[in-house]
Amino acid sequence: MEVGLLAVGAGLAIGLAAIATGYAQARIGSAGIGALAEKPELTGRVILLLALPETLVILGFAVAAMIILLLGG
Amino acid sequence: MLVPMTKVHVIGHRRQLQATLEALHRSSSIHLIDVTEDASVTLPPLSADDDQLQQIEDLRYLKARIDGLLALSDDLPSPVVPAPELGDLRTEIDEIAPRIEELAYELTRLETELETLPRHVRSLERLVPLLPELTQLEGYDTDAVILDARHAATLGELNVALNELLAGNFEIISGQVDTDTVGAVIVTPKSAKTDIQSLLGRQQVNRVRLPHRYESVPFRDAITMMKRRLTELPIEITSLRERISDEIRRHPGWITASVSLAERLEQLTALRHLGATSHTFVVSGWVPTPQLAKIAGIVADVGTGEVIVETAPISPDERPPVLMSNRSLARPFEPLVSLLSAPQYGSLDPTTLMMIFLPLFFGMMLGDVVYGLLLGGIALYVRRRTRDSSPAVSEFSKVFLLAAIWTVIWGVVFGEVLGDLGHRLFDLEPIWINREEALQPLLIFSIAVGAAHVTLGVALGIWTAGRMRDRKKLGTSIGTLLALVGLMSIVGVAVDRLPDGLMTPAVAVVVVGTVLLIAMEGPIGLLTGPLELMGLTGNVLSYLRIAAIGIASVYLARVANELGSLGPLWLGVIIAGLFHALNLALGVFSPTIQALRLHYVEFFGKFYEGEGVPFEPFGPLQRKE
Repeated sequence: MEVGLLAVGAGLAIGLAAIATGYAQARIGSAGIGALAEKPELTGRVILLLALPETLVILGFAVAAMIILLLGG
Repeated sequence: MLVPMTKVHVIGHRRQLQATLEALHRSSSIHLIDVTEDASVTLPPLSADDDQLQQIEDLRYLKARIDGLLALSDDLPSPVVPAPELGDLRTEIDEIAPRIEELAYELTRLETELETLPRHVRSLERLVPLLPELTQLEGYDTDAVILDARHAATLGELNVALNELLAGNFEIISGQVDTDTVGAVIVTPKSAKTDIQSLLGRQQVNRVRLPHRYESVPFRDAITMMKRRLTELPIEITSLRERISDEIRRHPGWITASVSLAERLEQLTALRHLGATSHTFVVSGWVPTPQLAKIAGIVADVGTGEVIVETAPISPDERPPVLMSNRSLARPFEPLVSLLSAPQYGSLDPTTLMMIFLPLFFGMMLGDVVYGLLLGGIALYVRRRTRDSSPAVSEFSKVFLLAAIWTVIWGVVFGEVLGDLGHRLFDLEPIWINREEALQPLLIFSIAVGAAHVTLGVALGIWTAGRMRDRKKLGTSIGTLLALVGLMSIVGVAVDRLPDGLMTPAVAVVVVGTVLLIAMEGPIGLLTGPLELMGLTGNVLSYLRIAAIGIASVYLARVANELGSLGPLWLGVIIAGLFHALNLALGVFSPTIQALRLHYVEFFGKFYEGEGVPFEPFGPLQRKE
């Protein structure tokens, strides 16, 4: 039971972070494509902005890994 | 590295202006500066006279016409024939172009017919079942209409209106042609044609309008004729295209003419950047310092002492253009650096560093011997195939070739051959760790790589700030470095990797670093200093993606192997092959994006000075590419 709860916790940690990243990337992506249609030279900036929220899911991954490694034994 | 630039003024007698411009254009090594933006030029800007403006307009028109004609043929010969004289070219174009343009017009007409006829056939085929035999009665017209099923009531209104107009001397036959559409055929006396047409125009119905040649033909015959025409059209189009191509191929000089017209236009439009009096002219521009002697030689050849090159003073607010020049292995990474924005003149060119770290991180993430070999094979194939047709793509394939080499190396380190297949079949063991099982060492390794990479970035930031004499940035970078080293030491002590005695000095270093960060920013630093510290931690933790993407890749490969082992051998090989292909596709895309992001955000953020102006030499277009 305890192992199951840990797994659910780890899953929630990365899953919720992934949803947040997806939400942020969706907003940035649509605005970015709009900007690129006007100014194609902004490609590098748009990729950079699009990649920024990924830190959230990486932090979620870190928390999930900590749950499994530190609490799961 | 960034090529050093020298600002020059090319000064000469007005009679040598044309020859000088042509020589500079051929050399393709000067980035022109508009004299109105150059404080060191006292001559007024050269104003183009009406003749020159007229000449530019004429040449543009001629070039547009030639390009329009050349675009009609997709099979152009190599331009080996010299361009005709301008006068001859004009006469030739005036004579021949109308003929080709007429053929092109005919081609467009046929293509439109080929596109629209199937629509008419479909409409008529839906209406034909509604047609009674009486529709072709002498003295009567047949109109077909199609309308949305939701607006079928319109037919009732039409019936009432026609009754009022023709007192029952008409017929409407309607029916459902498909779920969304209702069709109707209206038979009316020819004498009332005008009234009927205006009535149908007022009602919200779509009249089926056939092309002129089918208008007076019974619907069933029209369908047959249209279908026959549809088989003839592709043949006519192909033969017409061939005729147009033949006409254009007969004038290979036009291709050369288009290029030389473009060059002439470039030279004419460059005139407005120059300064001039009635006797002298001055061209101001940036020249890569190593090419200074070449420019001086070119200019000396133009006129005997009538044109000279001199080095011009640079005002503090002037920004020289940026030209990157790296060794052949690092050159394909230049576009990746510039994708963000070109580096500022005088700052550090990070291309070589990117060449070292980008493929390394890529390899750490994908890390599989077979995937690496496959990727390398694809990169080599692309390189060979595009060497002549697209040199830029061929050059860029080197990025993936390097990435493939690192993928193989890390594959050996992690003992991965198509995921765990090497272990399953040949009992292959990793040199260092198995990524499937040893999660903790992999995470620590990723963070250590991040700490080292970010520290290098901060150290480069200190170097750049010192070189550009930016005291504020220098202080901020030193503060960041101290905070980073302190934080890492604290973590080291906390996980028992460093002696406990280091804790106090580590905390002290973090405090000193943070205070320096705050001091450099002024009062607002109280807020931004601690935020910077948190950002720094986030930057290092961001490198966990190396482990995360790697683990995802390992597990996908494992899933492929597990699925492959379920059924018979032949089916297993196909399924596993498909899954591995998918994993390889994902495994190439994702690590590329992530490795780029680690560079742009975490690494470049610490030292990179962007917003540079790219060096754009005044020269023939094809050489710039």
